[in-house]
Amino acid sequence: MWWQWPHWLPLAVLVPLGGGVVTPAVARGSARRAWGWAAGVSAATVAVSLALVIRVARGGPFSYAFGGWQPPYGIEFRFDEVSAFAFVVAFLGALAIVFSRQYAPHALAEPRVPYYYTLLLLDIAGLIGFSVTGDLFNMYVFMEIVSLTGYALVAISGERIAEMAAFKYLVLGAVSSLLALFGIGMLYGVTGTLNIADAASRLGAAASTMPVIVAVALLVLGFMVKAALFPLHVWLPDAHAIAPSPVSAVLSGLVVKLGLVGMLRLYGVVYASRAVDLSSLNWLLTWLGAVSIVMGAFFAIFQDDIKMMLAYSTISNIGYIVMGFGLASQYALVGAAVHIFNHALIKSALFLAAGAIIYQTGYRRLSDLRGVGRGMPLTAAALSVGAVSIVGIPPTAGFLCKWYIALGAFEAKRAAFGFALVFGALFIFVYYIRMVNAFYFQEPVHADVTHVGDPPLSMLVPVWILAALCLIMGLAGKVPLTFVAPAVSRLLGPLGG
Amino acid sequence: MKRALVIVLLAIVAMPLLAAMAAMPRFGSAEQPAYTHVAKRYLERGVEEAGAENVVTGVILNYRGFDTNGEVTVIFTACAAVIAVLAGSRNRQDQREAASSVPESLVVRYVVRLLAPFIALFALYVVLFGEVSPGGGFQGGTVFGALLIVMTVAVSRNQAERLLPLRIRPWLQIAGPLSFLAVGTAGVVLTGWYLGFPQGATAATRLMLMVLEFGIGVGGATVIASIFWRLGDEA
Amino acid sequence: MIGILWDNFDYAVSVLLFLIGLYCVIAKNNLIKKFMGLNIMETSVFAFIVALGVVKGGSAPIMEPGARPPFINPIPQALILTGIVVAVSTTALALSLIVRVWRQCGTIEADELRELE
Repeated sequence: MWWQWPHWLPLAVLVPLGGGVVTPAVARGSARRAWGWAAGVSAATVAVSLALVIRVARGGPFSYAFGGWQPPYGIEFRFDEVSAFAFVVAFLGALAIVFSRQYAPHALAEPRVPYYYTLLLLDIAGLIGFSVTGDLFNMYVFMEIVSLTGYALVAISGERIAEMAAFKYLVLGAVSSLLALFGIGMLYGVTGTLNIADAASRLGAAASTMPVIVAVALLVLGFMVKAALFPLHVWLPDAHAIAPSPVSAVLSGLVVKLGLVGMLRLYGVVYASRAVDLSSLNWLLTWLGAVSIVMGAFFAIFQDDIKMMLAYSTISNIGYIVMGFGLASQYALVGAAVHIFNHALIKSALFLAAGAIIYQTGYRRLSDLRGVGRGMPLTAAALSVGAVSIVGIPPTAGFLCKWYIALGAFEAKRAAFGFALVFGALFIFVYYIRMVNAFYFQEPVHADVTHVGDPPLSMLVPVWILAALCLIMGLAGKVPLTFVAPAVSRLLGPLGG
Repeated sequence: MKRALVIVLLAIVAMPLLAAMAAMPRFGSAEQPAYTHVAKRYLERGVEEAGAENVVTGVILNYRGFDTNGEVTVIFTACAAVIAVLAGSRNRQDQREAASSVPESLVVRYVVRLLAPFIALFALYVVLFGEVSPGGGFQGGTVFGALLIVMTVAVSRNQAERLLPLRIRPWLQIAGPLSFLAVGTAGVVLTGWYLGFPQGATAATRLMLMVLEFGIGVGGATVIASIFWRLGDEA
Repeated sequence: MIGILWDNFDYAVSVLLFLIGLYCVIAKNNLIKKFMGLNIMETSVFAFIVALGVVKGGSAPIMEPGARPPFINPIPQALILTGIVVAVSTTALALSLIVRVWRQCGTIEADELRELE
């Protein structure tokens, strides 16, 4: 069948990578040409990654050995159910690029536009590479591609404190990358291999567990900074709020997930080798996850800036996922893994809708945006759909994963965390209610807000595709859950439970 | 106060790290896992398998070639990022005039002009002989990039920029990734794998390695010089 | 433990360098100095990984006629070449950001910038 062609796997990275690097040369300074090229490339990426998802759904995980060097001697790409994140990346990236058609020339200085598309495509390439690679150092390389493009995309908006926010992001991001690289180096020193599967089999034979413990700790710390778990989140709100909205969607929906996908890979190595006992780490992560849920929601309540609010909400949702990891039971991990996908959809829908509203009205504070539900009915409706699903009200995409994580808490006999989760959801409910209330029920402060009209189709269509997916993924929620389940069973299998 | 606190904190962090270092395999030992597992095969069969006498080059371009593919992408990313961040912030024309007010030294100028061809030749040498001696595409490219920077500083920016014509500069900047894509595709045709090389030191392998080295070199030099010029526009 | 740590002296030094760099990142006020701290951290990690490849009495892994084993491990060197390029890229971007901050805010001291916000 067409999807069995082996070279789809490297192509999933090489298409956006090659397409991204040639964008400035192809565009020759024209924003129009740059957009056309980038949209074409991202559409091709979606097609390629779709082939990969079909293949893994039909036949289970598969791999690709670069240069024909069998692992552990060469670099291996390994595509499993978690790697299906690559498809989400390609899909959301494509929507963000479509959305940028009118947004980018409006929000960015003219000469920056072709480079904006270059950086977006390279970001997509890096994220796809990160989620499919089976090699520790290759993972670091892709992590750096993602990080560098991320810093630049935050700074590109040219807002007053954009460079400052980008610099803060850069310093913390670089420190976290170095922590991870240190950990990778130690794992290499102990096992002599960089291949993830090979490291998993050799780690158990390590002469001493101390370096392994420290290496795991460094990697976890690095990944958690990237994922912006609560005490390590300081870089996130400014960076995500200041970036251009399509970039915020990519950063919040996809880039923070890099740390979480990295965690799943690390769990794969450690659980399979049984080299160290992770129960105390998991205990810590469960608590930090719970704290993150509450604190993220708490800060979000006091935000007036709509994008700032969404940025804090990301911290809450990362909390849910990390808590699911920490609970380490089948249900919780399945819920957490699926929430990686679903949160990407929901948060992109929210950020793109918010971007469309800012584009049309020029306001970004809730107090200025009162009554926008009358002026931009379709966009505000999409934003409300996103809000409802992120709170986790059935039958939307956010519900099932949170339900599974709560079930996991009961399964792990730690019911208190299940209640913490419900409590957090209530908190989140409060601030989204505030937003919906401002949009529909409060008297407008600015009269023009009520008759601006909906944005151009290049914005409205991506926003509504995502909003519709929030509903569809809620109704068809079983599909991703059963899709991810085998990967989670494989992960937890060695633990004997 | 704050500093003392940070130092205490770091001292606490140091403990587990040092303990881990003490428990690492012995430094410099030939029995450590890092040396006896994957590296063993590279050292034993690297020359015939990877087609380069310098095994480091063999690892960079052949065994772990895809890492280098990512690496050249990273450096182009930096170039794109710097251009994007600094784009359109100031007109270059007033910069030119400001720069001309710096007093020039005839001696420095003359020496740089005199040395330039030799530096360029050395850069070429480092690129060409990267597979049999220390060096390689990136190192040579850096030397050439440094030459461009020295020329910008000591002679004139116009003259340095003429070496990388503006019209084809966007293509030169991506020479690294493009050469990898080309050689990788050739690998698919020849061996069935992306970035695959025919076994042993055949003419095809040599040619592919050379294309990669030159791509990395040209791309690296252009990127380094472009970043420098961009930052110079701003200062 | 101290005795064993002495054997792995090179690794211990990279840990110290790493922490010195981290100290600069946290405690220094000037953005350039912060960033130099980051560069120190980068160098320390590279030094650590390169040190993993050392074999006592080993020579460079270049198999020209007359070269004699033991050779040192080529993998860490290859990795760090990539690592250095990544570090250079980060440095370039960070410097351009600092230049922009200076243009826009007129200062690159972290505490003054915080006040400006």
